Amino acid sequence: MRKTAAKLLTVAALATSVATVFSGTAVADPAAGVTPAAQDIVGVGSDTTQVLLNQFSADYNATLPGTDTTTPRLYSWDATGSSPITTKTGATPIARPNGSGAGIKALVANTSATVDFARSSRAPQPTDAHGLDFVALAKDAVTWSAKSGGDAPAQLTADQLAAIYNCTTTTWNQIDPSLPANTIKPFLPQADSGTRAFFLGAIGVATPGSCVASGPEENEGTDSRLNDPDVVFPYSVAHFLGQTVGGHTTTTDAPGNLTLRNIVVNGTVLTPVTNNVIDTNFANSQFGRVVYNVVRDAEWTATDPHGQALQAIFGSSGWICTSTAAANDLASYGFLATPACGVATLT
Amino acid sequence: MSRTTARFLAGGVAVVLAVTGLSGAAAADTTATAPTGSAVVVESNAFLQSAATNGVVIVPLPNAGVSYDTTTGLSTTLPVTGGSVNLRGYYGNVTLDGSLLFVDVLTGRSVCFKQLAFSADKWRLTGVPDGSTTPVSLLKPAGIERSAQSGTTQTLTATGFTVDPTGAQFLDTQLSTTFFTGGQSVGSFSLTFNG
Repeated sequence: MRKTAAKLLTVAALATSVATVFSGTAVADPAAGVTPAAQDIVGVGSDTTQVLLNQFSADYNATLPGTDTTTPRLYSWDATGSSPITTKTGATPIARPNGSGAGIKALVANTSATVDFARSSRAPQPTDAHGLDFVALAKDAVTWSAKSGGDAPAQLTADQLAAIYNCTTTTWNQIDPSLPANTIKPFLPQADSGTRAFFLGAIGVATPGSCVASGPEENEGTDSRLNDPDVVFPYSVAHFLGQTVGGHTTTTDAPGNLTLRNIVVNGTVLTPVTNNVIDTNFANSQFGRVVYNVVRDAEWTATDPHGQALQAIFGSSGWICTSTAAANDLASYGFLATPACGVATLT
Repeated sequence: MSRTTARFLAGGVAVVLAVTGLSGAAAADTTATAPTGSAVVVESNAFLQSAATNGVVIVPLPNAGVSYDTTTGLSTTLPVTGGSVNLRGYYGNVTLDGSLLFVDVLTGRSVCFKQLAFSADKWRLTGVPDGSTTPVSLLKPAGIERSAQSGTTQTLTATGFTVDPTGAQFLDTQLSTTFFTGGQSVGSFSLTFNG
């Protein structure tokens, strides 16, 4: 156990040093002074993929000549920041959607005059509105994290995680008598978080128990509430790699003192990261997931300029799924490319 | 092989349709839990004409079913024989009955792919060429692609179906042609999987 913990610390330290070397330029929202045009493709929603979409925006728009003022460009609004936001020229101001669920609701509640797509880190759910296409973007995985040097062990089973979030296991020594008798402090991200919804589904918890606290922004270990030796917090593996290996951090969008931990599935210890990428076995387990961009089906299948623009960006033959620049962006932000990129699941 | 080639030289595309008559019923699998369904590959008229012009003919062999529509083109139905797949999670594999024979009628060279499958991991239609045990990625869904699930029935529809670059290189090498290219449009594709 101690050896594994030491290895985790070593990996975290190495990742931090790598991140220092390759520290990237953080981008957020449309750049200051830029208001997307009415015809541009504008998205809101998930925190997990926001930095990736910001990078896509910069790189995709760079492929369009500055003199081209008619081809729709790609813009993405972060999950957090000032609110309300006016997403594009002529749009109705809306409260800034924070998370996949909120982004999808905003997509449904508005038209393409305001929102064209929603970033989603969760799959379609039966409660989602009909007529939406969840367009596959990439593969990610979700594991649990804990404070480096804290009381948490290096690994937990899915059942143990379920017991923690059901509040039937409340102290570490209930998991292993050699662990401290300190009270476990399970946290979940904000209510509309796709990572929250996915994690609860993966561990089979429909409604978390009363010992579970909600609120920290997903994938941000910098929240002071998470700086605790007994905290347990779900975390996107890709986002963690983007922060620690890709160097894509801000003062808040960073892992803080959290490190990723292993999950035991069917008796096998699954490690979320191998050689600085998402471990394949972990990605293929119940803790692996696909992340999406969600669009309105009627617009996705339309042959008008707007539908063509959506396909040109998100479609299986579009820029995200076929360009080298997008593939490099995916890798830099920790995601795994999927051959099914651009495939839509209709709600 | 030379006799087969002669038949194609004599009959051209008509042979493709003649093979339809040879198609038998899908091999019955009596296990209650065996998955069912089918994959349908539609070769567009544009692709058929282009292939024929270049001397290339693709012949579905039993237990594939074939039909032709003057508007949409040649449809090849490959029955599902097994596998496990999650078309919404994009993983798993569907095994298919039938095989596909690719022939260059100008040179007489041919290659037959058996053990056809749709790999959701690769998102490709794959086949194992004669004399090999390694699947080759042949064709990739394209265009507007949709996966859905209703009960135990999963579906995938794609308005496009294109030649995989690896498959194109393999086919051109085997047939000594320069006809196939990665991304070449073949037609459309659909898959229904019950189980």
